[in-house]
Amino acid sequence: MNVIEKILASKSGKSEVRPDDVVIAAVDLMVMHDLSANFVMKVFENEMEGAAIANPDKLVFAFDHNFSPATREAAEALAAVRKFAAKHKIRNLFDSGCGSIHHVIMEAGLAAPGMIITGCDSHTPMYGALGAFATGIGNNSMAALGFVHGSGWFKIPETIRIHFHGSMQPGVMARDVSQFMIGRLGEDGAIYKAIEYAGPYIESLSVIDRCLFPLQAIDVGGKCGFINPDEKTAEFVRSLPGAKDFKLFQNDADVRYAEVIDIDVSRIEPQVACPPTVGNVKPIDAAVGTPINVAEAGGSTGGRLSDIRELARHFVNAKVHPGVRLQVVPASRGIYLAALREGLFETLYKAGANIFPASAGSNQAFNMGALAADEVMISTQARNFPGRNGHPKARHFLGSALTVAASAINGKITDPRTLL
Amino acid sequence: MGNGMQSTIQGRVFKFGDNVNSDIIIAGRYLIYIEPEELAKHAFEMLGEGFPAKLREYDILVAGRNFGCGSAREQASTAIKGLGIKAVVAASFARTFYRNAINDGLTIVECPEVYAAVKEGDSISIALADGKIAHAGQEYSFPQIPPSVRKILELGGLANYLKANATTTGGA
Repeated sequence: MNVIEKILASKSGKSEVRPDDVVIAAVDLMVMHDLSANFVMKVFENEMEGAAIANPDKLVFAFDHNFSPATREAAEALAAVRKFAAKHKIRNLFDSGCGSIHHVIMEAGLAAPGMIITGCDSHTPMYGALGAFATGIGNNSMAALGFVHGSGWFKIPETIRIHFHGSMQPGVMARDVSQFMIGRLGEDGAIYKAIEYAGPYIESLSVIDRCLFPLQAIDVGGKCGFINPDEKTAEFVRSLPGAKDFKLFQNDADVRYAEVIDIDVSRIEPQVACPPTVGNVKPIDAAVGTPINVAEAGGSTGGRLSDIRELARHFVNAKVHPGVRLQVVPASRGIYLAALREGLFETLYKAGANIFPASAGSNQAFNMGALAADEVMISTQARNFPGRNGHPKARHFLGSALTVAASAINGKITDPRTLL
Repeated sequence: MGNGMQSTIQGRVFKFGDNVNSDIIIAGRYLIYIEPEELAKHAFEMLGEGFPAKLREYDILVAGRNFGCGSAREQASTAIKGLGIKAVVAASFARTFYRNAINDGLTIVECPEVYAAVKEGDSISIALADGKIAHAGQEYSFPQIPPSVRKILELGGLANYLKANATTTGGA
């Protein structure tokens, strides 16, 4: 069995599971952001009359879309969730300004290797980078099985292994590699499958950079993604607050795969996902020269400390192009504080950038990030679907923090290798 | 939630292409709602003038590969139900949409052949228990929906199913 098969077997009281088996397993952590907490709560109250929450300590609410509600409706929704949490003794409520949900939860030490984690958010598979089984589910599953029974039903997926080897070229970041992988597999390349990310390149990455890969499992249709945990994983988890006993499940030597894909990282150039979808990934050349109005380093895939450091480094001796609004959105309060202490925000602010509260940033344009019809944004965000950021005709390109930096300096999409 | 599954579903088809994502089905700004009627007012409005009203004239959506990809929002299936759509037939589904549709009591069928064969406005008939779809004198098969899942659909969704099976820890 592989890592996730072992986790699902152990949490469902079975000695062995195989692809296509369906198990009911105990879930360790159930996570929701402000939007999904609000609707799961409504389903729970409307449909599961009188039911109790099996274990409120397993639930986490992180308000990441609204760093400060901009409408009365949003304010009411957040207030209702706070009230619900108080009533049901849900202690883990991270309020507006906390950051991007999965970064907040990871930083708080609530996620650990060996866990089953479900979330009403499609990027929940991120925790697979720690050697956990993590997947996105809907309101009904969460309210009816998760809240009431502390469990979930899961079909054991087949697994695709992606073997990454080689070193990145200068100017290429892990984001380019994960984005390349999406283009290579396609948006439906792994429907209902688990994806194992492996090989010397993955092993060489920091745990935070590893997170990019399972995080984007959904963007190739995957159910979950995972990385075999190693000493780096254990050390990372031990460094977090609330470090607890955790188990590092490892693949058996004889695991079987539905498919094995080989990616030579050394051949990957900087990549951009062009409108209208995350799967429309091309080498940067395809977009170079496109004038931009907004540039953003933020979101689950780009508001990390390493991204902000990379961005700031290039603004020590450069200014944001006069026609561009550069937005910097840390993915957690811890990242915000570290960037503040390192002076990164001063550098960026003096260069003309704006610093926003820790949140999901322009993701879905709740507090920020709406575009006019003829505007163009380049960001480190995870999604670029039409209408997700304002007008459906607005265009949104996705790239690395380095590509965002180069483009913000020049006012048009720029090959980051020109900064080297 | 809502009306239970019927054993035969027939009606007129509206046809989509591949990779219809959940942002197209229902935009993020409407996620403050969970009510089918409220969501249906804004379903597919991204597609431009005439939507979603136009879709109310159809009974069944037919789509290509990876229908419902992107965000895990269950409101995508709820919005489609709210439009009065009785079933979605696609070449393949994104797994979160597939799972949400079952839990939400929306009938979904995987059948690439039907996607290839039908045009907008055609009539098809889906016999769920038999795993057959009839269209223009042809019959197409699809993998049978497992009995446990069919039970969830018959009761109109997971919440109803669990209430009806309150003594077990439920599931399918």
